[in-house]
Amino acid sequence: MSEYVFLNGKRVENPHESHHHISPVIVYVAVFAALLVLTGLTYAVSFANLGPGSLPVAMLVATMKASLVVAFFMHLAYEDRFYLFMFLTSLVLIALFFGFVLFDVNAAGALNDEQAVGVPRLEEGLKASETAPVAGEVEAPAPDAGH
Amino acid sequence: MSSSNASNERPAWVAHHFDTAGQQVSSAKLGMWLFLATEALMFSGLFLAYFLIRKLHPDMVLVASEELNKAYGGVNTVVLIFSSFTMALGVRAAQVGNQKSLERNLMITIACAFIFMGVKYIEYSAKIHHGLLPWNFFDMEKAAHHSAALASFEYTPMFFGIYFTMTGLHGLHVVIGIGVLTWILIRARRREFTPDNYVAVENVGLYWHIVDLVWIFLFPLLYLVK
Repeated sequence: MSEYVFLNGKRVENPHESHHHISPVIVYVAVFAALLVLTGLTYAVSFANLGPGSLPVAMLVATMKASLVVAFFMHLAYEDRFYLFMFLTSLVLIALFFGFVLFDVNAAGALNDEQAVGVPRLEEGLKASETAPVAGEVEAPAPDAGH
Repeated sequence: MSSSNASNERPAWVAHHFDTAGQQVSSAKLGMWLFLATEALMFSGLFLAYFLIRKLHPDMVLVASEELNKAYGGVNTVVLIFSSFTMALGVRAAQVGNQKSLERNLMITIACAFIFMGVKYIEYSAKIHHGLLPWNFFDMEKAAHHSAALASFEYTPMFFGIYFTMTGLHGLHVVIGIGVLTWILIRARRREFTPDNYVAVENVGLYWHIVDLVWIFLFPLLYLVK
């Protein structure tokens, strides 16, 4: 056996001591109750007619529920912080992924217009395909001989 | 390092390539959290697709989401949260060495997973009955007969595409969860877990909690758009 023992990159002073955190049952019951209350809140939000505000509010409540599950059911509040670091890294990557794609979808049309690049916007492309047959009918009467 | 203390004895369940039991346990957890991170990344692609569809066709998503049964969705949410609760209690039972409680909580968790899939079966059957299927399988005639508002949007099949893909991938995770929970239950019945050696129970618990986490976001996004 080597002289030092390392766990997740850190040297451990007493490698043979086991130290599991055991939460009292009441913590799990409290978290379960909080999750039920927040589920009720999610329901209430959907009937509150918040309009465009309903999506961020619903996501906020869902994030609160997720945080409770991760911290207490998944023990991340008591674990070596290295696991939290790894999990948060994946969330940072997701934020980058969402951020760049949504920025592109929001801004690409305007930027292309500005530079006079002939790339149809996604929305306009879809609208154009919907209205195409109508436009054809309007123009049809003039060059009738073509038929 | 010449102590001959009893705690220095190497338990039989520690694999030869680990220095200590703690190192084996933390390696197992490290691998599990890495896997959970990739799970989050995998689902994030589908969530982004959903957000784009909702952004491009907000009215269609609003009308189409009204087709989903909020009561069934709500029941399944409570079932999954409850199963996460019993799973957490099961891991605690393994920590304190309460064999009976461990087996009971694992069985309740598995039962909840079956209830979830049963409700999902009822929901899917109704959608299939009304022709509300993804993309090319979408039956516009049946859908129009069911609800004129649904058929007035050209891109309704897109909503059911993302609905079936997201809940389908989540349902696959629930089915796999039933499998791994059953495996852990069998091992628990063989008395393989002790208060020092229970990381397999804990890791399967982590997997089950991430299944619950995904549903926590899926439920308001798909069922409660308004």
